[in-house]
Formats: sequence, C-alpha cells, structure tokens
Amino acid sequence: MAEAVQVQLKKGVLELCVLALLSKSDAYGYDLASRLAQGIEMGEGTIYPLMRRLQGDGLVETYLVESAAGPPRKYYKLSNAGRERFAAQKAEWTHFSTAVNAILGGAQ
Amino acid sequence: MTRQDFLARLRAGVRGLPPAAIEDIIGDYQAHFTEGAAAGRDEATVAQALGDPDRLARELKAQASLNRWEVERNPSAAANAVFAVLGLGAIDILILLPIVLWIIGTLFAMALVAVVCFAAGAAMMVTGPFVIHGGPIAALILAGLGLIAVAACIGSLTAVGSILCTHALVWYGRLHLRLLKPALDPQGAAA
Repeated sequence: MAEAVQVQLKKGVLELCVLALLSKSDAYGYDLASRLAQGIEMGEGTIYPLMRRLQGDGLVETYLVESAAGPPRKYYKLSNAGRERFAAQKAEWTHFSTAVNAILGGAQ
Repeated sequence: MTRQDFLARLRAGVRGLPPAAIEDIIGDYQAHFTEGAAAGRDEATVAQALGDPDRLARELKAQASLNRWEVERNPSAAANAVFAVLGLGAIDILILLPIVLWIIGTLFAMALVAVVCFAAGAAMMVTGPFVIHGGPIAALILAGLGLIAVAACIGSLTAVGSILCTHALVWYGRLHLRLLKPALDPQGAAA
C-alpha cells in the first residue's frame, strides 16, 4: 500500500522535478538521471523517454558540449515555454501540497 | 545484463521507428553506459538501474506513434497509435473492448452500407435505362444519382466518426500515458 502510494506520487512529480533541476542549471542525461535516482529512487532509464517528450512538447532544447573524456555530452536546457510550464506547475504543486499538509496536520 | 544485451534488446524493441530516432535513442543509452563506466559503475549495475529495456522501448515507441498521429492524420498513423497505446497496457482492454468493438462494428456497417448504396446507385444510373425498357430514363438517372449522394454522405459520416473515435482513444491513451510515462519503478513493479 505504502509502496503504491509512493509510486503514484513519484509518477506525478517526475516532470516537475526535471523542470526544477533544469531551471537551476542545464544538465546532461546521466547527471539528471543520477540526481533524480538519488532523490526519489526512480529507474534511471525513464529519464530518456521523459526528455524526448519534453523536447517534443517544446519545453526543453538540447545542445552538445565536448567532454574531457569520451564523446560530446547532450545537454538539456529549458525553453521559454519550459520556464513558463515550470512556474505554473510549481505554483500548482505548492498550492496542492500546502492543502494536503494542512489536512495531514489537522489529522494528528 | 551487459551493456550489449541491454542495447540489443532496446534496439529490437524500437524497431520500426525512423532510423534517425532510433540512433538518437540508442545514443542516449550508450552515453549513459559510458558515463556510468566513467563513474566507476560496472555494466550490470548500470543496466539494472536503467530498468527493463523492453518496457522502455514500448514507452518510446508509443510516444513516437502518438506524435506521428498528431502530425499525420492518416489511417496508418491512427492504427499505429492505437496499437502502440494498447501494447503499452495503458488502456484497460477488458473494460474498453466491448465499447471499442461496438463502435468499430457500427463504423464498419456504415461503411458497408455506403459502398452498397454507391454500387446500387451507379448500377441504377448506368444500366437502368437499358434494362428497364420504356422506363422513365430521367427518373432512373436521378434516383441513381440520389443513391450515390446518400452513399457519399454516409461515407463521410463514417470517416468523421472514425477520426473522432481515434481522437478519443488517443486522448485517453495520452491521459494514461502521462501517468504511466515515468515508469519510476525500474522493474515495472507498479503494474
């Protein structure tokens, strides 16, 4: 039960988390995946389908950066639409979590 | 699972996508293994952390099909999108199947009626004047034309109906996909 709730919660916020990370700084796939995996224990592989969708929706853009070791890295950055989406989703999340916390607090 | 196994299964799973998209996808995961190796993780650990390549491939494919349907509104894109969404298990087929079958049956019957009407109208218009001697030729031709018009009307209604149904299914699929998309659990344990 607790596990199911967690999975549902994570699913809902993954996009928000990616947008949040990218709003702080541009990042490449492995970097995003490992930071998210650490924070919310997600399968690292799911970052790529998500990034393709965000790219398809015009929320993120990519560019290549030469890396010291190995092939160039593909970096993701937020587009203007992405920044707007992040602001809207963050506001929604804050509103929602505040409401839930208020109820949880009241239930104690 | 080794890096090679993972990439081979992923590649097999996304077969059918445009070659450029496939290379792009494989490139993403290849880079992930390379970065993992640079960070001192072995291939099996990285593959484990990435999750099930078959499931990832299904998600990538479903997404590509839905995008294609948004761009090209044709029957093959529609069929692709529908099957991809079904393949993902995004739609509870047991619940949806009776409805879908009923709708497909209705649309099919309408299409059939349209074809029959069209054939009957054409036959009446073209051969009527020869077969029915002394019949009112003008009336026969007009009646034939009328039947053809009815057929065209039913035919276009069927087409509009099919497009609307595909839209509805794709919308439903997207809604579920949005929730499913980040299959956060590496092993797909949520299913």
